Amino acid sequence: MSARSAPGVHEKRLWSLRPRSDREAGDAVVSNFLLHWFPAKVFKPSLDWSYSFWLGTISAALFLLLCLSGFPLLFLYIPSVERAYASVKDIEYVITFGSWIRAVHRLSAHLMVAAVVLHLVRVFLTGAYKNGVGRGQQREWNWVIGVGMLLLTLFLSFTGYLLPWDQLAYWAVTVGTNIASSIPWIGARIRELLIGGRTIEQPTLIRFYALHVIVLPAALGALFVYHMWRVRKDGGLARADRAALLPEKAETPPARSKTYTLLGVARGTAPAIRATSLEAPDLSVNAVPDLTRRATVSVLGTIAVISILASLLRSPLEEAANPLVTPNPAKAPWYFLWLQEIVTDTTLHVGRFTINGAFLGGVVLPGLLIALLTVWPWLDTSPQGAAGSWFARSRRRQNLVFLLMCLVVVVFTLVGTFCRGPYWHFYWPWQTWPEIPTRI
Amino acid sequence: MTKRGSMTDRPDRREFLMKLGIGAGVAGIATQGAASLRSLVPNVSYDAPTTVKLGSPMEFPDGLKFLPDQRLFVFREGNVFHAVSAVCTHLGCTVRAEALSQPETRQVAGTPLRLTHRFLCPCHGSSYAGDGSNVSGPAPRPLTWYQLSVSTDDGQLVVDLAQEVGRDFRLTVA
Repeated sequence: MSARSAPGVHEKRLWSLRPRSDREAGDAVVSNFLLHWFPAKVFKPSLDWSYSFWLGTISAALFLLLCLSGFPLLFLYIPSVERAYASVKDIEYVITFGSWIRAVHRLSAHLMVAAVVLHLVRVFLTGAYKNGVGRGQQREWNWVIGVGMLLLTLFLSFTGYLLPWDQLAYWAVTVGTNIASSIPWIGARIRELLIGGRTIEQPTLIRFYALHVIVLPAALGALFVYHMWRVRKDGGLARADRAALLPEKAETPPARSKTYTLLGVARGTAPAIRATSLEAPDLSVNAVPDLTRRATVSVLGTIAVISILASLLRSPLEEAANPLVTPNPAKAPWYFLWLQEIVTDTTLHVGRFTINGAFLGGVVLPGLLIALLTVWPWLDTSPQGAAGSWFARSRRRQNLVFLLMCLVVVVFTLVGTFCRGPYWHFYWPWQTWPEIPTRI
Repeated sequence: MTKRGSMTDRPDRREFLMKLGIGAGVAGIATQGAASLRSLVPNVSYDAPTTVKLGSPMEFPDGLKFLPDQRLFVFREGNVFHAVSAVCTHLGCTVRAEALSQPETRQVAGTPLRLTHRFLCPCHGSSYAGDGSNVSGPAPRPLTWYQLSVSTDDGQLVVDLAQEVGRDFRLTVA
């Protein structure tokens, strides 16, 4: 045996798209850096498009796209309150491919919020945070990491749309940091730390810029790596645990299965045939190429969709930040509109005592929601078998509760998007908004 | 030989030194973290001063004038002045004034006040009456009233944005 074909030595520099043997497929994974985080074999049903919709992979692909499109923007954008808006305008209108790169960045960010949320919904509805039959599984902790990554994704989006320093940015910082300052006792200090003073100025922009370009992406990258490592340690997707539930190959009692004579049947002397049940089909496949092919399709598909969308859709840029005039209505991006709706509706007057909706709806309710999501795996007492299957019967009630919460968020988002007009008054989508002078 | 022996005979000392080392490492990193965080809390404020000269009182129109830089409404009725903040008490957007078709005079904090406008917030729909009291929407408090005075050196109207006053405050300019 030559050194080149020794076990664990893969002959090719990269990997084999079409390995000729199981051995070659396994060696590719063992010896290739890019594949080392994959298992050699995977449970085929785990790869089904209709099980995971590959939403995690799509989220990761969008994060990759955000990093790639972020690099040129890093060279072109100027984080100064005097020049930020003009530099974004240059990126949009002057720089070759600038508007396309910005569109890729912006669309990837929007879709990443959507993909990450849908990934969370999928994991919940399939009970994939539950431990199955494997030993030492800690899927509930990977769920907690995932919730953290969702929060980082949202915070990255928030810090991102502040950077153009247009009207959307300025009033989003105003409202966002005032939510922080509504916390009793420490609120004002937190706001001062966030914006680097008492008014929104240069220190504010540079803080959010540093968070956006290094602190938050680094944190998200670190959690992503840990998230993937945990998936491996927990034995792959929760669905893989279902392999253990498949029937074992077993001998069935002899049965009189065939007759050759009527008489034989009558006398019970027909020849009996020994049979075994159908062997549990081997559902494991090589990671190369079954897993790598689908991962590649997901990633390249995401890149293709974003690239095409980015050349069709223009990125909006509002007027330059004007601390003197609040736009009317001033709306947050779609993924925060439900929060804007909640802070509108939660100011409570109890006698002479008032609780600011900014605190109740902006801090307490979202905080409780995140806390509930975080501890949910420990509240879930459904049997092991519910792990990794869509809408398991034993988890029906909690799935309904979860979907109801999702529905409330969706309804609030739709109301905020389509039914709020000037002064945040309620208008049906088919009603026209009254004419209101832009300045008093 | 004394009983002291070699290091392997003294596991308590090894244990102690190991804990000391780990403790020193943790303390070092914690100090670094605390120092980094503390450095981000500003010690000096470069914000605009809170006491601002607004110009001669006689240049103010009768009724309401909005001063965008201070986010302030200044009201004048003859030679009587008062100032109400335009910053919404809910989440800090700038409210807009809307003139009432029928101004009315009402007792506010024991003194009569002519209400000519109402204020509406574009961010979350709070609305305020002409004296700044919150009427509907999520606003938890009335709009703030600020102290007005006349500058002793050049007679300009001066607002102190750090000095809240009651709703019976009036400045009468001689």
